[in-house]
Amino acid sequence: MNEGDLRTRNHIYRRFVEVGRAPTFAELRDELGDEVEPALRRLHDAHALVLEPDRTEIRMANPFSAAPTPYRVEADGRAWYGNCAWDAFGIPAALHVDGHTSSACPDCGEAIEIDVRDRRPVPDEHVFHVVVPASHWWDDIVFT
Amino acid sequence: MNLFRSEEHLDRWLNQNAYEPGATITAGKLCDLAHAWWSDRLASDWRPHTRDENQAILERLGLTGKFWQLA
Repeated sequence: MNEGDLRTRNHIYRRFVEVGRAPTFAELRDELGDEVEPALRRLHDAHALVLEPDRTEIRMANPFSAAPTPYRVEADGRAWYGNCAWDAFGIPAALHVDGHTSSACPDCGEAIEIDVRDRRPVPDEHVFHVVVPASHWWDDIVFT
Repeated sequence: MNLFRSEEHLDRWLNQNAYEPGATITAGKLCDLAHAWWSDRLASDWRPHTRDENQAILERLGLTGKFWQLA
């Protein structure tokens, strides 16, 4: 990953935090120029972000999700979606603030509301499960 | 990578979806993992973690064994 790609990546994350959603490809091209397209593809190949399979739009800038998911996160007066429960807890961690995660139990559908305060979950009675072994996480990162 | 109300709910979901059980940790451990994994993500001097750096994070949290071995 070269310095230019890192600047592109950092710009994307900054915009994601500022506006509460992923910047579109059109916005990035306006802001960064035509070189942004190959940079996005290199960042995708390096797993620094995830593009949609059929177009040059951002799907994931982990822990942030560009698409709505079952894991909504409120932190620092704004809201985002995490890609999964791990990412949902990762958003307050990345912002270095407390936060709140709203999701639902995949089994029964009952709401799960968890505060993250000083890096601790409140309440702390829930369990987190990973189905896919770590060596296969990037085989299909959206499913993972 | 989901949160469940309890082990009972998790087991029922695994059975209903015919998934092989993977790995389960507490929400507290997940918080520790999230902080270790993501807390530098917005730093202006961020650099990608190497595989070994990420593996070390997992190991520090006791997430060891074949299931947690990164590619």
